[in-house]
Amino acid sequence: MEIEEIRGTFKPELIPKETGGDLDDYEDALHVLMKFMGSMSSALEQVSGRGANAIVYQAGKRMGHESAKMMEKTENLEKALDEMGDVLGHEFYFEKWKPSGQSSYTTQEGDQVVIKLLFMDCVVRQTLRRTGLPQKGPLCYLLYGYMVGAVEEVMDIKGKIDIDHVGPNACLKTLTITWSGK
Amino acid sequence: MVQIEIDEDACVGCGSCVEDCPNDVYEMDEAKNKTKVVNLEDCMACLSCHEICPAQAMEHQDIHVAKRLYIDRKVNYALDRII
Ligand code: SF4
Ligand code: SF4
Repeated sequence: MEIEEIRGTFKPELIPKETGGDLDDYEDALHVLMKFMGSMSSALEQVSGRGANAIVYQAGKRMGHESAKMMEKTENLEKALDEMGDVLGHEFYFEKWKPSGQSSYTTQEGDQVVIKLLFMDCVVRQTLRRTGLPQKGPLCYLLYGYMVGAVEEVMDIKGKIDIDHVGPNACLKTLTITWSGK
Repeated sequence: MVQIEIDEDACVGCGSCVEDCPNDVYEMDEAKNKTKVVNLEDCMACLSCHEICPAQAMEHQDIHVAKRLYIDRKVNYALDRII
């Protein structure tokens, strides 16, 4: 394959327009990053076993806390989730989900509130499929950690997320929050 | 709302979709030895059943189709021209 070299003039503090790249460049870069992420995840699992999930979960949780610092604090779970949906955007598009026999999205169990989230678009899922890795592995824990971190930050509570089901087109997760504080 | 069509000519009656669906959307029609949709309301369009079905016998209509950026556009383009 012939590589097209880009030549231009570079001044300090100025980004020359030649470095912009086109859609093909972005696509190539995306695929390389997906492969990197996939290899890192499987190597981490090989070296650390199940500890890999915990490491990635913590990384995700930290990201969640950081990005949620910009969000408005609320005690309303559904409002918090709407805000998180805006921040996560189209790449992690999720909706609240409930089985047909249940009347509301949230259920209360003692001091815990439970809600099911259906993740429809997910870059992690795409990365795993790009690299032929199974779902529910360490990379998935990045998103779980992110959601928990963000909801903890916005609502000032303790949260946890469990995987109900993973599929090629959508994944169902259960978010549980505990009101009794952190 | 999602609609599921089962191609009864294709279905081999293995029951994998019944086993695999987390929301009990399918049930076996014992008389016909084919799957049937019994709980459409609880289908969340995860498409696990599409992956497990050996006969590609089901079709989900009017669902959110997740982005698949892992599919290389150049490969798609090449396939489009071949198939
Ligand atoms: S898409 Fe998922 S929920 Fe719907 S029928 Fe298939 S396995 Fe069940
Ligand atoms: S998995 Fe496919 S072939 Fe097997 S019962 Fe279900 S629809 Fe029929």
